[in-house]
Amino acid sequence: MPECDNPLWPCAMTGAAACLAGFEGVSVVIHGSSGCYYYPTTLLHAPLHGTFILENEVIFGSEERLREVIGGLSGTGNRIAVITTCVPAILGEDIQSMLAEHDVLLVDSPGFSGDVETGYTKALSLLAPQTDAAAEGVNIDGICLLDPFYKGNLQEIRRLLALASIPVATVFCRDALKKTGAAATCTIGTNADFSSGVGKYLGGSLGSGTLRATFERLGAVFEESDTSPVLRELSLMEEETVRVCDKFLRRFDPPSVVIFAGASYAEFAAEALEHFLDADVRFIGLRNQDSTLHYPAARVTGLKEAQQLIEVHNPDLVLGSSFERSVRGNRAFLGITPPLRGVVRLAPVPLAGINGTLFFMEQVLNACMDHPRTQP
Amino acid sequence: MNLRPSPTPISRSGGCTLTGALSVTTQVRGAASIIHGPKGCAHHNFSLFHATLPDNDQAVLPDLVSSALGECDIIFGGEDALTRTIRSVCSRDVSTVFVLSTCIVATIGDDVEAVCGRDWPVPVIPVPTAGFFGGTFQDGVNNALIALADAGAPAPTRPCVNIIGEKNLEYEVDENYTEVVRLLTLLGLPVGIRFVRHLSPDDMPALGAAQVSILRDPSLVPVGDHLRERFGTPYIPSFPTGLSDTLAFIRSVAAACRIDPKRALEIEQALQAEILADFADIGDTEGVFCGPVMDTGSSRAAREAADALHIRVSSNREAHPLPVHPVVGTSGVRRMLHRWRRAIHA
Repeated sequence: MPECDNPLWPCAMTGAAACLAGFEGVSVVIHGSSGCYYYPTTLLHAPLHGTFILENEVIFGSEERLREVIGGLSGTGNRIAVITTCVPAILGEDIQSMLAEHDVLLVDSPGFSGDVETGYTKALSLLAPQTDAAAEGVNIDGICLLDPFYKGNLQEIRRLLALASIPVATVFCRDALKKTGAAATCTIGTNADFSSGVGKYLGGSLGSGTLRATFERLGAVFEESDTSPVLRELSLMEEETVRVCDKFLRRFDPPSVVIFAGASYAEFAAEALEHFLDADVRFIGLRNQDSTLHYPAARVTGLKEAQQLIEVHNPDLVLGSSFERSVRGNRAFLGITPPLRGVVRLAPVPLAGINGTLFFMEQVLNACMDHPRTQP
Repeated sequence: MNLRPSPTPISRSGGCTLTGALSVTTQVRGAASIIHGPKGCAHHNFSLFHATLPDNDQAVLPDLVSSALGECDIIFGGEDALTRTIRSVCSRDVSTVFVLSTCIVATIGDDVEAVCGRDWPVPVIPVPTAGFFGGTFQDGVNNALIALADAGAPAPTRPCVNIIGEKNLEYEVDENYTEVVRLLTLLGLPVGIRFVRHLSPDDMPALGAAQVSILRDPSLVPVGDHLRERFGTPYIPSFPTGLSDTLAFIRSVAAACRIDPKRALEIEQALQAEILADFADIGDTEGVFCGPVMDTGSSRAAREAADALHIRVSSNREAHPLPVHPVVGTSGVRRMLHRWRRAIHA
């Protein structure tokens, strides 16, 4: 693996923590040093526990320390999940046996094993979610504590499902742990980068086209449902967005754009910008590897690389994280990718659903209008 | 002999050595810091600096380069990856390269010093870090300062004072420095270098030339000892933390530099009296100290200020909450008193 300048994406350990800490009824223990503990804690804003191991525990074994920490957490009724960081992962200790009496969920997800999605997926697979034909409604997946839009996405999709009279079954990963054992047989997504693989996937909720198709499928699957209020609201949203974007285009040229995000949000952003503003999507820098995007795209792992791409493609608008914001020069910017430091965010705004598209487009238009610049 | 002493809670929560070292190495202009380990370790720290440096008006983010170790490197050793990374970084326009190791690298036993010791076109300085293997955040700071000090050479003494180990992630780092400069100016002493804050490699010869080093706080004593051994420079163990401590600080620096402190002390005492008079309106009240950091120095400075203003300090939760934070010098106490006034008049 080549060296990487100022890496932009968290490690697998953080991904595993983002998955497990989303479940009520799980006590998450980061088995490693204090440095490995503090980062996910500050990033995820979720209660995590740590073993804070020191040198002598690496040399002589960490069993005593693990027992001390796990002992303090037992008796709460919570399932204890231990996530191993890099050093404990290679020590070869049989942690499962050491902690046999506690029924610990052991997630071997060291930082060197991959990126955040790797850890998230592994942790979720170890929870072994089960579907139950008797479970009512539809699951929502793609919810990840790392995602700055997860609260808004969840709120918005719950709203739309309620509007269509479809109950919400299990939310992956923001729900009671016990509900993972009895999930519904169908799932819709909010962010495919963090999909659960549980049940039959009926589609996503990013962007109007995808949302319409998903709710049409939901209408066909759930006979008691009435998706027409959602589809009606969706049409009104599109109409209103087109009207506002038309007005923008009377005065401004379509923006050229470079996007840095996970594949799912990047595709949503690119399609929305192209659809509503005839934007020129010059390049997509993907945080994660796999993608079948029909835009020029490649994986971008470091800030220097991102900066060079911004300079080479010279867009009017940059979408990304606050890392990209720091190197965007005088170009308009909109944050859609974690981390989003340096801005106060209190309201749970979505990218998914009807309000997600509205929020995204209004932010794009405001950013472009607030940052007019002369093309060289 | 107890081979397995129980670690104290403080040592467990003392932070990451790597982060401490980076808070120093990223302040050397034109230098690059290589983090030898998985990408996640570099990302964690880059994200932290990204979040904190703008608060200190530093818009330019540091260059952190990860050797990006993967599973194969962990199994077969990461020295090739480090060599490749150093070669790549040396080909850029850099003055110095720091190599900081991580927990996993210390565990697999990469010989980082040997790789750094090869013939590179620019100085490649290994800093012993290795996360929890290296100790705490403060150990990382100290190790980086000592490693960098070893790159300096003894020089003829000149009338100046060096500032050692400023807390670069501290919110008020530059204001605290300004206060120390103000006090030194009362004694007619200029600052030689800030070791290490915005340091240019060209400034390094001044490291061994100061009459005295002033440490940011006593946790840097190992660094002070190292500088004394290497350059013969005596040190003052801490920035001043309260009113009387500020006067004692002036006396100590004056003694170390063989200067008469009388005039400086008169000016400072007059300033302190003026400040206390300005805050007389909050006197004769009852307050309770509060704040996330309640170290001995801060508590002592707060107590002294409260006593001077006749504020009764109690544990009564109904009393006015008086925020306490680490203060430096007379100006630091004045800022704390402004916060007290706001709390008392709220």
